[in-house]
Formats: sequence, structure tokens, C-alpha cells
Amino acid sequence: MSITRVDEVFNERLINLNMNAVNKKEAIEELTKNLYKEGHISDSKIFIDDVYLRENEGQTGLGNHIAIPHGKSDTVKITSIAFGRTKNDLIWECPDDKPVHVVILFAVRNVDKTTVHLKLLSQIAMALADDDILNRLLKTNDKAEIISLLSQEIS
Amino acid sequence: MNIIGVAACVAGIAHTYIAKKKLILAAEKAGHTIHIETQGTIGIEDKLTDNDIKSADIVILAIDIQIKGKDRFIGKKMVEVPTEVAVHSPTALIKKLQEIVESVEVKK
Repeated sequence: MSITRVDEVFNERLINLNMNAVNKKEAIEELTKNLYKEGHISDSKIFIDDVYLRENEGQTGLGNHIAIPHGKSDTVKITSIAFGRTKNDLIWECPDDKPVHVVILFAVRNVDKTTVHLKLLSQIAMALADDDILNRLLKTNDKAEIISLLSQEIS
Repeated sequence: MNIIGVAACVAGIAHTYIAKKKLILAAEKAGHTIHIETQGTIGIEDKLTDNDIKSADIVILAIDIQIKGKDRFIGKKMVEVPTEVAVHSPTALIKKLQEIVESVEVKK
């Protein structure tokens, strides 16, 4: 997989290590703003509505202070992810009832011309199965390390 | 123990793959072999072969939706859970599978 492709779905401009959000709604809005600024979505309001559609289908908190909301939406121009972290305790539906500090927002196009980006997203998700990676994501202040941790499963 | 299974979540974007990887990590740590097929937005990946199914001791379905080809597993020992269980308690789940396989063997 070429580096350019990884950079299309995930890069340092889409990482915010100091989110101001104090709740789930604000965290989703803050990350959506970032995706909009980078030109990855065309309409923030419609996108957020689509994220909440998914939220209603089941919890997106993974436990261990991490949540992965996702929106599959016509407003998504580039299938990608935005990474946000906050010191604030976000209340989020999850299996262990721990407050969430890391939010990884998946933005997925309704129709993708190729499956390359979706494949990358699935490989980023697989990295989240590893507790050591989750612990580093909660601690490191190095954006390059965050990208390398999440890229671990990409072949 | 030889485990096979399928992972599939509602959106088919993230939980499917986290569940798969969690099951693989937990099974391999306990010394089992495992093969998990995923059915996601991207389609079917790591598809189970007839041979995989034939040689399996048990089938784990970590699914939140109807999957394709469930009839392939007719006659096999099978456990079905939501993806959430595989994501949150993979080690306990693998242990449960082992208990099921062993209890059936004792009965024989």
C-alpha cells in the first residue's frame, strides 16, 4: 500500500490532541469541523445527522477510553478518519462505562469508486484490537507516532 | 482446537474488523488455530473454504446482522454472539468455545 494512499485517509492535519469538547456531541462536532476544513465532507450538518443514525444502531464506545463513531454519508467526499483526544471525561455508551478520551471519527462515502480507502479503514480498525496500541494512543503527544500506531496492520 | 468463524457488524466498517482481530489475538494466545471470515461493506474477505469448515472443531459467529452462507455450518458446533462480545471479552469467549468442545468430547 503506498504512503500517499494512507495520507489520503489519515494525516497529521486530521489529528487534534487538545479537543475542547466536554461531551459526545461537541466531540463529534469538533472532529466534523476538522474533516470539513480539510475538504473531506461537503456538509457538516447532514454528516452529523448520518453519524447519529449509526449511533442509534448500537454503541460505538469500544471500552478502554476509546470511541469510534462513524458516518456513511452522501456528504463525504473522501473516505477518511479524524482523530481527537481530550483531557475531559466524555460520557459515551461503551461496554466498560469508562469515560472516553480518544474519539476516532470514521467518514465513509456512500459509493466509493474503489475499495482502497475502505480497506485502509478496516486495517486501521484492526489496530484498535491491540490494548498496547490503545494505551499509546491515550498517552503519546507525537502525531507521527499516532499515524504509525494506527497503520500497523496496513500491508 | 481449530476455530473458524465469521464477523459482521451493522455498518460493516470498523467493528467487524476489530472483532476479527480480537478473536485471532485471544485464540492464538490460548494456543488455538483460528480463521475468521469478514462480511463488511467492502464485501467478503478471508472467505472460509470447504476444507476450513470440514476441519473445524467449532464455529464462532460474531455478528449483528444476517450473514451470507450460514447454512455452510449446518451440523457443526456453533456459537453466535454480537460483535460487542468478541470486542469486549474475546478471552472469555474463546475459553467458552473450548469448554463446549471439551464437554462434547467427554460425552462421547
